[in-house]
Amino acid sequence: MNYHILKKTELDGFVKKLAKTMKVCAPVAKGHNNFAFEEVTSAGEIALSYIPTILPPKKYFMPPREKMLDFDISEGKPKDTASFDSEKIALFGVHTCDLAGIQCLNMVFSEKPRDYNYILRKENVFIIGLECNGYCDTHASCALVGNHYPNGGYDLFFTDLGEKFIIHVGTQKGEELVEGMGLEKASPADLSALDKVREGKKKTFQNEIGVDPKSLPAIFAKGVDSKVWTDLGAKCVSCGNCTNVCPTCYCFDMADTINLDLKTGSRNRTWDSCQFETFATVAGGENFREERGARQRHRFYRKFKYPLDKFYRAFCTGCGRCTRTCMAKINLKDTLRALAAESK
Amino acid sequence: MKTEKQPVKTAAKPKVAFFDFACCEGCQLQITNFGELLLDVLGAVDVVEFREAISEKWDGDYDVVFIEGSIGDHHAEERLKKIRARAKVLIAYGSCATTGGVNGMKNSFELDEIRQSVYGKDYKLFDSTPTKRVDQVVKVDYYINGCPIYIPELVEVLKCALRGLPYSVPDNPVCAECKLNENVCMYERGLACLGPWTKAGCNSWCVNNGNICYGCRGEVTNPAKNANDVIGKYNLKPELIKAKFDMYNKCKEGVK
Repeated sequence: MNYHILKKTELDGFVKKLAKTMKVCAPVAKGHNNFAFEEVTSAGEIALSYIPTILPPKKYFMPPREKMLDFDISEGKPKDTASFDSEKIALFGVHTCDLAGIQCLNMVFSEKPRDYNYILRKENVFIIGLECNGYCDTHASCALVGNHYPNGGYDLFFTDLGEKFIIHVGTQKGEELVEGMGLEKASPADLSALDKVREGKKKTFQNEIGVDPKSLPAIFAKGVDSKVWTDLGAKCVSCGNCTNVCPTCYCFDMADTINLDLKTGSRNRTWDSCQFETFATVAGGENFREERGARQRHRFYRKFKYPLDKFYRAFCTGCGRCTRTCMAKINLKDTLRALAAESK
Repeated sequence: MKTEKQPVKTAAKPKVAFFDFACCEGCQLQITNFGELLLDVLGAVDVVEFREAISEKWDGDYDVVFIEGSIGDHHAEERLKKIRARAKVLIAYGSCATTGGVNGMKNSFELDEIRQSVYGKDYKLFDSTPTKRVDQVVKVDYYINGCPIYIPELVEVLKCALRGLPYSVPDNPVCAECKLNENVCMYERGLACLGPWTKAGCNSWCVNNGNICYGCRGEVTNPAKNANDVIGKYNLKPELIKAKFDMYNKCKEGVK
């Protein structure tokens, strides 16, 4: 058990030291109870108490817009050069739901054919988690999917013990950092304080929908033709917010752009969304998911059914972002409850 | 010693012309505001007519013409048809040309009523027709929506036109790009924004700069029929949303 201690008064020094070796990104208040991961250079800029950020930290692993290659078609045979641009960053204050999201994406992009841009970029990110001692708000459903406790996926993990943070060291890189900063080891009293926090969370965090998560695969298997999806279709405006803010949605579109010399250019990818009408439209105009309801259903199955079959893990992290961002009041918890009630 | 003169490569650059109809000419102004990019553009094309920037005229055919503005009288219709006849490729640019823009608001009134209010008692001396988009008069090959146009999109369309490739105006809502820019949603700020129903492609330009989306790029092809949940959640008045839409989208209803 490798635990260290950082006094809260020393957090600023910690961030400043870290910022000397790499870019530090942490949740920052954007007003109107919105937060975003942004570069910081001192602890004062960090919102230690925050609800999930507008975009999850996936933006640091798969940027919303990313150049994949440069090409040159000026001579007979086109030439291309792979493009990769990344810098060392430390992500500070990543909640357990978002750590789970990164773990999901790691699985997806490590599958063959591997996504080297993602994998190489991931190597450059130092992750510092931060425990939620209480709920962020009522939209979260982290206890349903068991993401309210840390489950790996970090280099260091901070838990607030009042006057200080207790830090769990998750990796060799993390070990080197705390040793380098000379952070003291946690005492038995600190460890029992941590146990107390965890014990308290058992009462605070309860399955948010009152449905056994083990029964969800069967509920989804039965729910393909449910009226629930028609109802969601009637609400949805297809803005794509729910998938853009989802920590485990990773679909992208790829397009070539030529420069004004009409000889050189680049291939770029941009996040796409299964909620867009254009997403499942193919040549000839046929659309495999023409109805909004079918598109919403697809989104839910991509969280609670398909990844369970493939990766043995739900791809909903319980962060609640999709519900929070939906202008048309589509609510994840209500949808799951309605689906479960129907399958009884 | 006499050096052999290198033959100057004069691969004729495409002849490009800009024309304006009923508009504020703000889209032309955007082009003159290109900055350094203008040099790259001028390296690729030969601008032969551009009223706001040059006084030259061109008698021959055009490879590419840019049409700004909507069509609001018989003379404009005839002039546009003549330009089309001389142009290989026609690009409608700016809201007035692509969706009718703010000029479309004219169509909310009885024509004679609005003529009278603009021209006074002798209004009959001034020809006026209901506002039309450019494609309601002639065939349009490329569209660049927006009020004003978004320069990076204009460059993309120009490159497509020069290479003879199609360009698809994004048919996703502005939210798609706005979320990628991680803006705080205007609805969260307590403002009604037309982003959820408006075509993307502007990189949520207005919202990035603290303004709501006014719907200048026109509605997506298949906007949600039922916005009751949005209206309910944010306590909006349906008439307010409709009035906001009418500012740029009135021509969508078509011209009889």
